[in-house]
Amino acid sequence: MSSAPTSEQRAPRRRGRVASFVLDDHRYVLLGTSAVAAVGMLLSSQPRPAMSFLANAFTVELAMYYLLAAWLVLAAVALIFKLTHWKNYDETAPFTKPAVARVLRYASYVVWAMTLVLVVDRVVMSVASAWSVAVTATSRPTDDMLESMCYILWNGRQTFITGFVTTVELAVIGTVVAFFLALLLVFCRIQTVDRPDNDFIRFWKKAGAGFAKVYSTVVRGTPMMVQAMVIYFGVFGLFRMTSLSTTQINGIWTTFLAGLVTITLNSTAYMMEVLRGGIESVDPGQMEAARSLGLSQWQAMRKVVFPQGIKYSIPGLSNELVINIKDSSVLSVIGTFDLMFATTTVAGIYYQQFQTALISTAVYLCLTMFASWLLGRFARHFDVKVEALGSTSDTPVKVEE
Amino acid sequence: MAMTQTSQQPMVRIEGLRKSFGNLEVLRDINLDVMPGQVVTIIGPSGSGKSTLLRCINLLETPDAGHVWFHDADLAAEHVDVNRLREKIGMVFQGFNLFNNMNVLDNCTLAPVTLKKMKKDEAEQVAMGHLEAVGLASFAHANVSNLSGGQKQRVAIARALCMQPDLMLFDEPTSALDPEIVGEVLEVMRGLARDGMTMVVVTHEMQFAKTVSDRVVFMDQGVIAEEGTPAEIFGAPKHARTREFLFRYLDD
Repeated sequence: MSSAPTSEQRAPRRRGRVASFVLDDHRYVLLGTSAVAAVGMLLSSQPRPAMSFLANAFTVELAMYYLLAAWLVLAAVALIFKLTHWKNYDETAPFTKPAVARVLRYASYVVWAMTLVLVVDRVVMSVASAWSVAVTATSRPTDDMLESMCYILWNGRQTFITGFVTTVELAVIGTVVAFFLALLLVFCRIQTVDRPDNDFIRFWKKAGAGFAKVYSTVVRGTPMMVQAMVIYFGVFGLFRMTSLSTTQINGIWTTFLAGLVTITLNSTAYMMEVLRGGIESVDPGQMEAARSLGLSQWQAMRKVVFPQGIKYSIPGLSNELVINIKDSSVLSVIGTFDLMFATTTVAGIYYQQFQTALISTAVYLCLTMFASWLLGRFARHFDVKVEALGSTSDTPVKVEE
Repeated sequence: MAMTQTSQQPMVRIEGLRKSFGNLEVLRDINLDVMPGQVVTIIGPSGSGKSTLLRCINLLETPDAGHVWFHDADLAAEHVDVNRLREKIGMVFQGFNLFNNMNVLDNCTLAPVTLKKMKKDEAEQVAMGHLEAVGLASFAHANVSNLSGGQKQRVAIARALCMQPDLMLFDEPTSALDPEIVGEVLEVMRGLARDGMTMVVVTHEMQFAKTVSDRVVFMDQGVIAEEGTPAEIFGAPKHARTREFLFRYLDD
């Protein structure tokens, strides 16, 4: 949009949420930072991991601990003062004087820094040491959960990577193919009978719209897990009618292919509804204006309504990729080697359901967060806002004018 | 100017037109002729069916009964090729309805390029001529959303003219505009009328109806209550309802 640069120049430069909290909106210096200090003290009381660097600087850590404690005391005093002087706190409290407030503000940064050091020392270093133990271990360490998880992740890495790649492939290819199928289907879905149409065209228009409606109802009304089974075993049965052997069929109709078909057909139905919502939110006046110039319904749709409708649909469409990343996990029911299948496989090897599930939780979360960040950047090109990690395809479309 | 052309065949002949939305009868037996070169303004209170009548002329609303003859073709007939007929009937809407996904020039060239198979640069040349006429040639590559209401409406008029229509329909073209910029749109319409364009205008601008139109049609509750020259309607209205309506408008 050509208006974008001018409006950007006028608007103040936007900071990230964290940056603006630290720089502008640091209203809860005492109370908010005391929570951070408490976290720091809690970490400090934890046993040191093998790689802890503060183990060599005991006095430093002791000093940090007492400084954090002092901050907590100060915050408590301020809180009591606030509660007792509720009405005229701003005038009477020493904490609100500009000079004191500035010192407190800088002190709070120090609290953050000290806590950060403790986080690195305890959390990061414990993962690092657990990892170094797990990589060299000959059998799974049983007494430390972190070491155990690192061991599972390291030794099951081949399986995890295969599953990860398959999940990404399924979601990306499935979403892209589904988008084009959904475009075709939505063309069928929204066409209406027009005056100049002869009976033949009228029949095909009605048949197309009816098919799209039934397709959408059936696909959206059944679980994808069931669809996967129907598609996989159904097509498998069809192949059985030929002279191919089971091994040959398995070579052609792989579980990956079946999974891809399932996720594509499933996503098509949802994307079609998203597109339909976008197209229907285009002002009917656009259609009327195009028709009044003499354009046929199809020409008006193609040149005027679709380009706008698809733009409106971008938030919903990009949500579909995130949904597919998550929903591809049900394909493990037919044996598609995705991340979920990898998780159950690895969990079976080590008899550790919870720990393995925790690992794949982290992987799925990173994947979906990365995907929605990427899509958000992509959508910004089209002047539309994408909500982070949307839940379903049925969420209404939001468009910023 | 219409007075000299009365011997000609009417360009639009509406016969026994009826239209209802559900139980609401919006148009009840409308008969109206529009001669070539005539400017007909339709006035009347809100909900009297003015816009519906106008939209029936290019079949944006399908009539329930009656005929809408445009030249020799009956638009209300089944299976008529409305798209071909609409090419000759330009329409300007209250809400502008410029295509938001295109710039000003593309708005104007879309229909000629798509329907008349004009070459792109040829269509652009024609469009620039019409944009020049409405005083917006310098906005040819501007985004539609950056225009003011008056500019949008002038582009909408230029867009309709690019198809070289025989008839122009105006559906309350100034109702969505600030009073200050109504004038610039009306000026363009006056120019069109001077050039001999056949126009049917639904409007609340009584001054425009009075000075520009050859015939004024007053509609009330789905029927044409009174019609005549501006002098007849504004000077000596016969119908009590017309007097009441005009009194309220010309009062302020």
